[in-house]
Amino acid sequence: MKIVVCVKQVPGTSEARIDPETKRIVREGIKAVINPFDVYAVEEAVRIRERIGGEVIALSMGPARADVVLREAISVGADRAILLSDRAFGGSDTWATSYALAQAVRKIGDVDLVLCGKQAIDGDTAQVGPGLASQLGWSQATCVMAIPEIAQESLVVKRMHEDGWDRCRVRLPAVLTVVKDINQPRVPTLRGRLAAQKMIIPTWGAADVGAELGKIGLEGSPTRVVKTEPPPLRGKATLKIEGSAADCAEAFVRELRLKGLV
Amino acid sequence: MKSHIENRVYHVEILPPKQETEKLESDLELFTTKFSRVMNSGYCACITDNAMGNLAFQGTEMIEELGLAPREDLVMIHLNTFHTKVALDGILASCRNLGIRNLLVVSGDGSDRLPRLLPREIGASGVAAVTSVELLRYIANEHPGFFNLGVAFNPYEPEEPEFEKMERKLAAGAAFVITQPVIGLHPGVQKLMEKYPALPVVVEAWMSKKLELLSEAVGYEIPQGQAYDPIENLRELHRIYPSCGVYLSLLGFKTQYDFLKDTWKRG
Repeated sequence: MKIVVCVKQVPGTSEARIDPETKRIVREGIKAVINPFDVYAVEEAVRIRERIGGEVIALSMGPARADVVLREAISVGADRAILLSDRAFGGSDTWATSYALAQAVRKIGDVDLVLCGKQAIDGDTAQVGPGLASQLGWSQATCVMAIPEIAQESLVVKRMHEDGWDRCRVRLPAVLTVVKDINQPRVPTLRGRLAAQKMIIPTWGAADVGAELGKIGLEGSPTRVVKTEPPPLRGKATLKIEGSAADCAEAFVRELRLKGLV
Repeated sequence: MKSHIENRVYHVEILPPKQETEKLESDLELFTTKFSRVMNSGYCACITDNAMGNLAFQGTEMIEELGLAPREDLVMIHLNTFHTKVALDGILASCRNLGIRNLLVVSGDGSDRLPRLLPREIGASGVAAVTSVELLRYIANEHPGFFNLGVAFNPYEPEEPEFEKMERKLAAGAAFVITQPVIGLHPGVQKLMEKYPALPVVVEAWMSKKLELLSEAVGYEIPQGQAYDPIENLRELHRIYPSCGVYLSLLGFKTQYDFLKDTWKRG
């Protein structure tokens, strides 16, 4: 099976600053890391290859320095990597990014499966995976927590929901986004890390993947960020239960029942 | 371990490079230099296993990949419970191939990037989580008679449960003990030696001047207004515990290493 796994370089901080002028995340001066959800996607891709054979190709779109996250994917088992990097991609929103990635997937050719993390922790949109499926015209399943069955032309996946999970069959080729419950990612070995350092990673520009300039960058991005502000604080209330252990337990269970939790 | 103590072999802790390092090449070079220096001195190189939950490269893979030559009986690998079963068996197999027999088996500090052994994977029943006791038992059962298994003793923990845990560690196959770092005389270590007179005990000497780190790590209470001299403490430990081995943590290879030949002179 030929698997492409999309990885993104994100700021390694939970306190990202927004540029008031451009409304974009300020990335300068912040250590960049691989998007944590993508680590699980890479691990799952490598596990599938270990189960049934094939090839795992890590794909990222970003500046030249984003090769670091591709090398991280190689250090844990990806066979090769491709960096999509071009000034023309700058300013792409999730739709334009999906288009560029889809063009790269088409150029790679004969891809059976694309895996992505559920979302990137910087933008938190969770749109690129589904957008990529839409651009390619492929099946998709989001928030995948397990892939119990892999067949020639389809997969069976378990999708996580807020109140449980469902199980569905997805026709190949497909795009899946995965959640952290899907596996326990391996830690890179020294051998993997050294091999990753030496690997030559090709860089593809917009022309290399045949991207139309009107569909990438700011021009190709339908999203307009009008205003950004922190989300409202979630309503939290702390209830302190006092009394004997038995009384506290009784009151605790009563509260849970009132909230419909038991 | 008795031969280490009789032959005045220091146990020198070496930390492998962290996974997140941005200067891997120079870190590998430094590790190689330290390891070779310890081997040449005839001391025992003790390689940590994701110390303090910081992701680092594993000891045996460092030795294998860097083509280092461990001298017989002079390497100790720390091994904790934060591994997959496949990785654990791989480490043990590598130790056997490299002729490394000394293992320090600890529960360890986890991290969200590290997997944890499950009780059923190593045949442990009746426990919710794998601790050093179950790991010891597994290694002793799977590799009977090959490894020399050591465990940690924390004199800063409440005495009764710590000694109860020690009983279980000994029953599971522990053959020597390394204490948490001690500054001078510690009644807990005295009691350990009195309770198990035949058990080889290695006391850990804190070689960093920063006592606050020790305080953070194990809860050591820093005496008011006392300047700390690691070399002087090392000499003091030799005076107080002449029958014990010594484990050196956070040793300064540039500033302290050369003093070692004088602090525990060989005959």
